[in-house]
Amino acid sequence: MLEVRNLRKIFFQHTPNEKVALDGVDLTLAEGDFVTVIGSNGAGKSTLLNVVAGEFRPEGGTVHIDGADVTKLPVHKVARWVGRVFQDPMAGTTPHGTIEQNLAMAFARGRTRGLRTGVTRAKREIFREELKALELDLENRLRTDVGLLSGGQRQALSLLMATFSQPKILLLDEHTAALDPARAALVTRLTDEAVARHGLTTLMVTHNMHQALAMGNRLIMMHEGRIIYELAGEQKQRATTDDLLHEFEKLKAVSDRTLLA
Amino acid sequence: MLSALDLGLIYGLMALGVYLTFRVLDFPDLTVDGSFTTGAAVTASLIIAGQSPWLATAAGAVAGAIAGLVTGMLHTKGKINPLLAGILTQIALYSINLRIMGRANLPLLRTDTLLSGLRDDRHLGTWVSVAVFAVVVLVFMLALDWFLNTDLGLALQATGDNERMIRAQGVSTDNTKILGLAVSNGLVGLAGGLIAQYQGFADIGMGIGLIVAGLASVIIGQAVIPGRRFIFATLAVVVGSVVYRIVIQLALQAGADPNDMKLISAILVIAALLLPRLGVFRHMRARRRERLIEAAAKGEAARA
Repeated sequence: MLEVRNLRKIFFQHTPNEKVALDGVDLTLAEGDFVTVIGSNGAGKSTLLNVVAGEFRPEGGTVHIDGADVTKLPVHKVARWVGRVFQDPMAGTTPHGTIEQNLAMAFARGRTRGLRTGVTRAKREIFREELKALELDLENRLRTDVGLLSGGQRQALSLLMATFSQPKILLLDEHTAALDPARAALVTRLTDEAVARHGLTTLMVTHNMHQALAMGNRLIMMHEGRIIYELAGEQKQRATTDDLLHEFEKLKAVSDRTLLA
Repeated sequence: MLSALDLGLIYGLMALGVYLTFRVLDFPDLTVDGSFTTGAAVTASLIIAGQSPWLATAAGAVAGAIAGLVTGMLHTKGKINPLLAGILTQIALYSINLRIMGRANLPLLRTDTLLSGLRDDRHLGTWVSVAVFAVVVLVFMLALDWFLNTDLGLALQATGDNERMIRAQGVSTDNTKILGLAVSNGLVGLAGGLIAQYQGFADIGMGIGLIVAGLASVIIGQAVIPGRRFIFATLAVVVGSVVYRIVIQLALQAGADPNDMKLISAILVIAALLLPRLGVFRHMRARRRERLIEAAAKGEAARA
């Protein structure tokens, strides 16, 4: 479903601040795969997601989604295949739009937007059903401005908006990191439910190792723009945070050694 | 006094255009000063050339829309700062408007215009003309409201509210901005053509400072009618435009020099922008917002 081949992304190329963010990343997601991505700051996790989504154009390599080459497409064209939730709970919704207007905008993803009424009675019924599943009582507040909702509610809504139109790929960029523990747990649960319900192929970046192990069927660890460690299936189920920390330690030892050499 | 209502309603079309760019798209578009005159120039020239006034007025609106399209292209494809893109179009239009008119002033007095009927029956500046213009503005206002609630209109609103989000939902914000600017300046060009017919001439300087009048209308309107729901936002803009013209009229009647009108307009807008930041008003707004959130929370608790 997602094919990333030898992806390279270099920021500030040909300047003294040149930074290689992705250094030849290869990654294939089969349909229904749910891959969690961990790694230290600057490892290239978010860059990987942003290149897939079309925010950045890579210096080398290709990205294919569902067989289509999307490497050079801008964000709004890639959006035909991709649903996204950002780290910032404010980023995924429009504050001055109502809940139903926001949902209508997400509902139209991948379709031509014309002069049809955005929020129709039929759509409102669909929205109400979808919102019920969040158990946040938002189904009774369809005409509330999203700007009046809390961060957790907005992130739950963003997640719904990214998933209910059943994208080919779901990209989650530390989407629970800015929430308090209770809300983070809620959004985590909703994520699992939505992915399971629609069978979404998902790529999720997280800093939380528990989350990375608990969610999804595969895990990759990134470091300095490369994928350096991978877990899948039973191996992943059996792994603990200690195992992951051990992998991190190995990296640290290597970089210390290179530093001293 | 009733002619102030006439003018307020016609300029209301222009104010709706300004509302669309400044408030909805969050794009400070200065094309307006030029595109208003362009609308007037095209309409007047075509009427003098013997074209039907209906066609001439429509052509004025289309000319305005093209001006908006140019500003939109300069900003989105050319990556030029919004203010600068608008100013560039506006300045270029000054020369183009002179070309269209052939000279600085085009009188329309003995020609057949859309308003000839009203003028001949001495209905201009009476409740009859006020009613006619009110209906015209309401039609465009409702059309704008309808448009803003279509799939495309929602995408346009979101472009001004959270650009990144709507791009991630598959919308080219370049296109929505260009569309918004074209529709906005189309309304402005339409207002220009109607004003030329109302006052009986098109003049190269008739658009100068108009953006301030448009902004004043939007700001005054939102002070008078604060709601944003349903049609209240656009209705506020039209009401604001009428109030603005009445204030100007009163100032003139009180003996103010017509040459000082631009100064008075500017001060009016500055006051409208600064007053809400004063402590008293800020406190009022904060209370209103608190009440809204409280009400929302209470509703939630009641249902839980």
